[in-house]
Amino acid sequence: MSTETGRAGERTLFGHSLRRLILYLVLLGMGAFYLIPIETGLMTSIISPGTYSGNLPYLPPLEPLVPGTGAFSLEPWRGALDGLGQGLVNSVILVVPATIFSGLLGSMAAFGLTTISWRGQIGIYILFVAGIFIPYQAVLVPLTQFWYNIVPLRSMFEPLAALPLVETYHWKLLALIITHTAYGLPICTLLFRAHYKKLSDEMVEAAQLDGASIATIYRRIILPLSIPMFAVVFIYQFTQIWNDLLFALTIVQFGDAAVVTQDLVGIGVSQSGTNFPLRMAAALLAALPTLLVYIFFGDKFAKGVAA
Amino acid sequence: MAELTLDDVTKVFTEDDGNEITAVDEVSIDIEDGEFLVLVGPSGCGKSTTLRMVAGLETITTGEIRLAGQRINEKPPAGRDIAMVFQSYALYPHMTVRENMSFGLEESTEMSDDEIESTVADTADLMEIEELLDRKPSDLSGGQQQRVALGRAIVRAPEAFLMDEPLSNLDAKLRATMRTELQRIQDNLDVTTVYVTHDQTEAMTMGDRIAILNDGVLQQVGTPLECYHTPNNRFVAGFIGDPSMNFFEMSVDGETLVIDRFEYPLKPAQQDAIRNRSNVVFGIRPEDIRIKEPGGLSDNYQFEVTVDVVEPRGDENTIHLTFDRSVDDPVTFTATVSGLRDISAGDEVTATFPPDSIHLFDTDSGVAVHNRTFNAENATKQIL
Repeated sequence: MSTETGRAGERTLFGHSLRRLILYLVLLGMGAFYLIPIETGLMTSIISPGTYSGNLPYLPPLEPLVPGTGAFSLEPWRGALDGLGQGLVNSVILVVPATIFSGLLGSMAAFGLTTISWRGQIGIYILFVAGIFIPYQAVLVPLTQFWYNIVPLRSMFEPLAALPLVETYHWKLLALIITHTAYGLPICTLLFRAHYKKLSDEMVEAAQLDGASIATIYRRIILPLSIPMFAVVFIYQFTQIWNDLLFALTIVQFGDAAVVTQDLVGIGVSQSGTNFPLRMAAALLAALPTLLVYIFFGDKFAKGVAA
Repeated sequence: MAELTLDDVTKVFTEDDGNEITAVDEVSIDIEDGEFLVLVGPSGCGKSTTLRMVAGLETITTGEIRLAGQRINEKPPAGRDIAMVFQSYALYPHMTVRENMSFGLEESTEMSDDEIESTVADTADLMEIEELLDRKPSDLSGGQQQRVALGRAIVRAPEAFLMDEPLSNLDAKLRATMRTELQRIQDNLDVTTVYVTHDQTEAMTMGDRIAILNDGVLQQVGTPLECYHTPNNRFVAGFIGDPSMNFFEMSVDGETLVIDRFEYPLKPAQQDAIRNRSNVVFGIRPEDIRIKEPGGLSDNYQFEVTVDVVEPRGDENTIHLTFDRSVDDPVTFTATVSGLRDISAGDEVTATFPPDSIHLFDTDSGVAVHNRTFNAENATKQIL
């Protein structure tokens, strides 16, 4: 009896390990498949532009040890920092407030539309939902008209330019912040609403009986319970706004207020040819903040998605 | 602490298609200061809606609710000085037990942090939850969460407690313990309490008085024994008591009641009660039916019956009896006998329906026209 069990056990163990092996091989293959482009970009970005041949771009720059791989240099990264510095700063000025505002306002709107009940809220909510489906392309011309001809934001902003660290061209970033906040609001509201619908009505009623006002219920009950959802919304909005080129081209157009995506378009391109190492370094540099956001908030993101 | 009065309170819900549904229909109850009133009824009878109107979580369509003589219809929940315990406990999941209990004091009083701290500590001591104060609700068992929810209500020292089926999420054993505990606490604090439940056992065991609701209409308000022994109508008679009262629809034939299987002679007082009626519903509680060995029918209140099913409960057995097992649609009824008696299905026995213990109800309206002999004072004395 015992020997039989033992043999059966061994067979299972063997079958187990074979399946494991195949699983790991597949996972390894998939990992390599996803990582090779990034690895190639990284290797390309540390090759001295003069020695970049375009052959075997995924190999590390090992000249003169291995011919044809190019010589190691941090010059592309230095160039990328020079070329994108202003754009990076502008993007941060844009993305941080726009993300926070759209998340915070979305959460407040969802609270008002879900947890509090009042007449006509469904109609208002439908407007929010409709907002999600308005295509970017449809609003490009109205947006330009709005910020350049209808709202005199530029002249309204001028007095603020006297403050330290504030420049006249920042008005364009302000316009972009408001636009992104407004455009992100519907999806943020939708995400928070889904979360708030799951919160217990009795809990909110208990808070009402405890003497809390609507504002207090939001601040002391709903807001602390929204943290996982804020992680989701912040990551989503940060990535969306950081990577946006369309609104930036429409509202900023050109000049000092250009954001990083705008600067990235033209970097390393000249009549003498394309500077691939510089473009790679610039692309990686521009993508770095979103990567960092995922690394630092990834676990909260997973919690929020599961919540 | 104050008396709570419900005066012709009505709640009408209007559906999206314009249909009006009356959930609570002109309910009037006077709840004395310090009284424990249980609001009981089947699901959907409007008992929770009534409680929510008292709490201010639901508007009052017509009628008036007064707390300590003051109309509170228009006051928001926060302004009513009422604490409520919910079925789901409704604890704030991100706060510790201490924070849960402090929240109401912070929001509704001007107490200093030190006063709040000591009030919370006192209540925690009363509820025996001191060691849980720094834990979060998710780390607590159902019973512990229940105690915290109660503590959160008690700590505010409100004018009245409202409890919406607070024990229904506990297992049977814990529920029985908490029933006694809740009564003890309510007795000590002497706060006016309205307790909603669908469980007639809870109503019977906990309430100073019970109010029975059905379809939004108040059926009876009285002490548990009054409701049990002198029900206003057939609904109350059937709802209170487990196993339920037996009902037979019978026709009146002079001085006797007749049904296919048996005839029952009435006493003069009972005859007066049903004068000019051709039909009446006859009711008798299972424990009032006496069961003995077959044979020798000594009077007209005895009947030969057959045991159909026996449900042993330990302390007592519920036995289902029938006048005639062989027919397709037998008339059956239940009786309770001592758990030690040896009775099994198929046995022939003699059942006695003592004339002092019978109830008679109007067939159409269900109104009680005659109740069993019951003297509340004697009954209370016997219990004491």
